[in-house]
Amino acid sequence: MNVQFKKGVLELCVLVLLDKQDRYGYELVQKISDQIEISEGSVYPLLRRLTKEEYFTTYLQESTEGPPRKYYKLTDKGREYLHELLTEWTEFSSGVNQLIKEGVRQ
Amino acid sequence: MNKEQFLKQLEGSLKRLSTEERKDILQDYEEYFAVGMENEKSEQEIAASLGNPKQIAKELLASYHLDMVEQTASASNILRAVWAVIGLGFFNVLIVLAPFCALVGFVFSGWLASLAFILSPVGILFNLFIGQFIIADLFLSFVLCGIGIFVAMGMFYVTKYLTKGFVRYLKFNITFVKGGLKHG
Repeated sequence: MNVQFKKGVLELCVLVLLDKQDRYGYELVQKISDQIEISEGSVYPLLRRLTKEEYFTTYLQESTEGPPRKYYKLTDKGREYLHELLTEWTEFSSGVNQLIKEGVRQ
Repeated sequence: MNKEQFLKQLEGSLKRLSTEERKDILQDYEEYFAVGMENEKSEQEIAASLGNPKQIAKELLASYHLDMVEQTASASNILRAVWAVIGLGFFNVLIVLAPFCALVGFVFSGWLASLAFILSPVGILFNLFIGQFIIADLFLSFVLCGIGIFVAMGMFYVTKYLTKGFVRYLKFNITFVKGGLKHG
């Protein structure tokens, strides 16, 4: 799929995944790459940027094996931003779907 | 590429950042390797799925330079940020460099015009020297000087707001323009 387009959507995916529960970086990356083909390394720059914009806070938590993990938690500001993006996305995708339905021969 | 090579390359490309921030970033990727290995992946597999460390560094540096501009909008900080965002992908040469050059040209010519207006009485002085002095020119030059000061005041705000607007545009670019995503 078009690269420019996917990158904007990546932001939405991360926000959606953090809406219900806090997650750590590896988990986020795996969840997304199960569905969409991404270059996994680019998720961390995105996470840092959104953390700086105060959409997330982070905390460290010990794990049963290996080093402690950095968890990301959605802030109120982040949740607000998520809903903005979701509205935009829903309108956009339903518009495109409508065009496809009308335009593509079955 | 194994874990050590990956982290070394990343660290090498992030020299501009503060030690603290660099350490924080490296820790994120170390954690990623650790969890990946717990899930029975090899270092090579993980490094390959992360992608090119230099491209990752470019993206981190572009964000960093934009933060710097937001703190102090000096000419050198702006230039660095523009350069860093352009480096993210070939496409950016067009959509970042072209508007940037246009804006710089506009701002520069505005300031130059105001400076020329403000300095016009100096031209009268020159006329005095070569014996071409006319009193009407003197008045005209004072008027021009006044206009020049107004233009300069206007340019001050124009420059400020254009800079702000352009930085927002660069930020928007970081979100949407290629950087570390697979072509597929």
